[in-house]
Amino acid sequence: MMPTDGRSTWIPRLLIAPTVICALALTVLPLGYSVLTSLREFPLGQSPVFVGLQNYRNLLHDANFHSSLGTTLIFTVVATAIEFVVGLGLALLLKEEFSFQGVIRSSLIVPMAVAPVVVGIIWRLLYGADVGLFSFAVQALTGKSISVLSSTTLALPALILVDIWEWTPFMFLILLAGIQSLPQEPFEAARVDGASSWNIFLHLTLPMLKPVIVVSLLIRALDAFTVFDQVFVLTQGGPGTATEVATLMIYKTAFRFSQFGYGAAMAIGLLVLVMSFSAALTRVFKSSI
Amino acid sequence: MPGPKMIRRKFLRNSLGLATAATAVSLSGCSGKKDASRRGQITFGSYADPALDLLKDVFLPEFERATGIHTEWVEADFSGWFQKALNDGQTKTGAFDIYVMDDLWVPRFAGAGYLANLDELGFQPDADFVPSALDLGYWPPKTGLRQPGIDAKAKSTLYSLPLISDCQLFFYRNDIFSSGSPATWDDVLQMARQKSDPARRQYGWVTRGVKGNPIMNSFFVLLHDFGGDIFGENWKVVINSPQAVEALEFYLKLLQYAPSGVAEFDSDQEGATLLQGNAFAATMWTGWCPQTDDPAKSRVVGKISFDVPPRNIKQVAKLGLFMAGIAAAAPNKTGALEFFKWFSNPSVQLRFARAGGAAFRTSALKDGEAQKKGRWLDATLRALTCGMPSPRTSDWSKVEDILGTQLNKALLEKGNAKRHLDAAAAEATAFLKGAGYPVA
Repeated sequence: MMPTDGRSTWIPRLLIAPTVICALALTVLPLGYSVLTSLREFPLGQSPVFVGLQNYRNLLHDANFHSSLGTTLIFTVVATAIEFVVGLGLALLLKEEFSFQGVIRSSLIVPMAVAPVVVGIIWRLLYGADVGLFSFAVQALTGKSISVLSSTTLALPALILVDIWEWTPFMFLILLAGIQSLPQEPFEAARVDGASSWNIFLHLTLPMLKPVIVVSLLIRALDAFTVFDQVFVLTQGGPGTATEVATLMIYKTAFRFSQFGYGAAMAIGLLVLVMSFSAALTRVFKSSI
Repeated sequence: MPGPKMIRRKFLRNSLGLATAATAVSLSGCSGKKDASRRGQITFGSYADPALDLLKDVFLPEFERATGIHTEWVEADFSGWFQKALNDGQTKTGAFDIYVMDDLWVPRFAGAGYLANLDELGFQPDADFVPSALDLGYWPPKTGLRQPGIDAKAKSTLYSLPLISDCQLFFYRNDIFSSGSPATWDDVLQMARQKSDPARRQYGWVTRGVKGNPIMNSFFVLLHDFGGDIFGENWKVVINSPQAVEALEFYLKLLQYAPSGVAEFDSDQEGATLLQGNAFAATMWTGWCPQTDDPAKSRVVGKISFDVPPRNIKQVAKLGLFMAGIAAAAPNKTGALEFFKWFSNPSVQLRFARAGGAAFRTSALKDGEAQKKGRWLDATLRALTCGMPSPRTSDWSKVEDILGTQLNKALLEKGNAKRHLDAAAAEATAFLKGAGYPVA
C-alpha cells in the first residue's frame, strides 16, 4: 500500500534503522576495515603506512600462499564429496520408520555437536604415534608402527577423515529432511510401473532432491574452505607444509608475525575466492534452485 | 475506585523516565567500580602455565595482604592471550595493568609502545638480578644486533622484568648415565646407541619435532653448541653455515634413537615420554622439573637429574623467561609498580625460591635451603649464566617459522640437512630483505 501522508514514509524507515545500523556495524564495517587494513603496513612503533595495492601484489607472487590455497581446495573438494556420498547413503538407509530410529539418528549427529577444538584433541589422541588407536591397530596388523600426523602423505587425508567424521551428520540431516519432504505420488507410480530401486533413485530421488543437494554442498563447501580449528590442534599445518591451509596461514601472518596488512590482504583474497567458488557452484546448478 | 487511565503519552513519558534513571544508576555503578580499581586493584593478563601457579595461588594473596592492593588474574591459552594483549596494547583500552609475556614478545610490545618505561616509573634493579634474565627486559637490546628502524645509538630502556626464570635444562636419567651428567653431545649419542631398545619403548633421546617454534627451540641449543648461529653481521642469515649443517646432521643422528612419531611431538609428548620412563635424555624447560619428582605424574621419581646442556665447541642453554611489563595504558601503574618492587624484593624472591619457584635473583637461586627443595635450581642458575635468548627482533616469529618448517622437513626425510638449511636461509633472507633489513 502506498503511503498517504508524509509521516508514514519516515516512520517505517526509522523503525528498521536500528536493524540496518546493527547489520552494517556487524558486517560491512569490519569488512571495510579489513580492506583498509590490507592497504596498509604496520611498522614497529610507527603509525600505519598506506602502501596501496602492494600487499596484493606480494600475494600474487607468494608461493606459500598459493600452496596453502591448493591444500585448502583439495581438503574442501575431497571432504565435501565424501561427506555428501556418505550422508546421502545414510539418509536413504534411515529414511524409513524402524525400531530405535530416534536413538540411532541422535547418536549419528553427536559428532556435529562436539566443539571443533575438542574434536581435534580427540583425534590427536587417536592418531598419536605412541598411544594412539590407529598406531596400535596398524602395529597389531602389520607389525610396523605408523605415525599418521608426521607423515606428509597421510596427514592431510587424516584431517579430511576428521572433517568427514564431524560433518557427515550435517549432510545426513539436511538430505534426510529433503528426502522426507518429497511428494510420495511419483514414487508410488514408479513402483506400480515396475521401476527398480536404482532407477527410482536415479530418475526420481536425485532430480527431485537437486535443490537440497546444491544447498547442502554449498554450505559444507564454504565451511570446509575456512577450516581452521582441527588443523590448528592436530598438525599446526605440518608436517612441513603438508596441511597448511589458507586460514591457518592468514592467522599466523596476522597474529603471530604481526603482518596485519598482509594478513588482511590474504583474508580478502580468500574471501574473493570463496565468493567466486560459491557463485560458480550456484550458476552450475542454477536451473535446479 | 478505578485508577487513573494510563494514556500512551504518559506511558512513554514514564518509560523514558525509568530508562533515564536506570542508565544513570548503571553509569554511576560503572564509574564507582573504576574509581575503586584506581584506588587499589591491579589486573594481570597472562597465558595459562603451571609454572605460574605458585605466584597466583600463594604469592599474589600474600601481596594483597601486605599492600592492600587487590589483584585480578585473567588468563587464556598462549595464542589467545597474545592476541588479547596485542589488542589491548594497540587500542590502549587499559583492560590490564600487567602483561605477562614470553620473552619473545618484549621486542614487539616494547618497540610498539605498548609497555610503560620502568626507568621513568622509578624502578631500580640491582646487581643481584640474574644479568641475562634482566637484559631480556630492555629495549632496544643492550647488546647484539638492532632491527631496522631502531636508532643504533638509542639508549636501552627497561620495559619489563623477569617473572619466572625459565630456561632449557638437560634432563637425564641418572640410572642410565650412572657416572653423572654427560659432558659432551657425543656422550649422549653413545649412550643412546648402547642402550636404546625400541621394542621395550626405551629411547636414547626425545625432542620436540613439530614445525615452527617447537623444533626450532629444540635445535637452538645444538646449533649454538656446534658453533653455529642464526644471524651474522648485519642480519646476514647464517643458518646454513658448515657448523649449522654439522649441528643438524648430529641432531638427525640423535633422532635415530627417538620415538618414531617425534615429528609430531610438542612439549606435552616430549615431557610425557621422559616422565613415563621411555627416554634417557631431553632438553626441556625448567617448568617440567617439579613434575619429575611428583609420583602422580612421573614413573621415574628421583631418577631424573638436571644440568646445563652438554657442550661441543660451546656450551649454551636456551632462555625462555616469563616476563612482565606494565601496560602503557594501565589504569593503576602505581599499584603495578608496587607489585614489581614487592615481588623483586630479596626476601620475597628467597621465599619464592624456597617454595619451589624459579626466582630471578642470584642470591635466591644460590640459597642452600631453596636448592634442597628445588634440586634443579643450581642447574637453572648455571643455565641462566650461559643462556642465550632468541634473536631480539619483532620479526623473529616469522623467521622462526621459516627455519622451523625446513628443520621439520629435514627431520621427516631423516637427512638432506644442507639442502633444507640452504632453503631456510634463502627464504629467511628474502623475507628480511622485504622487511627492510640490510641483508646482503
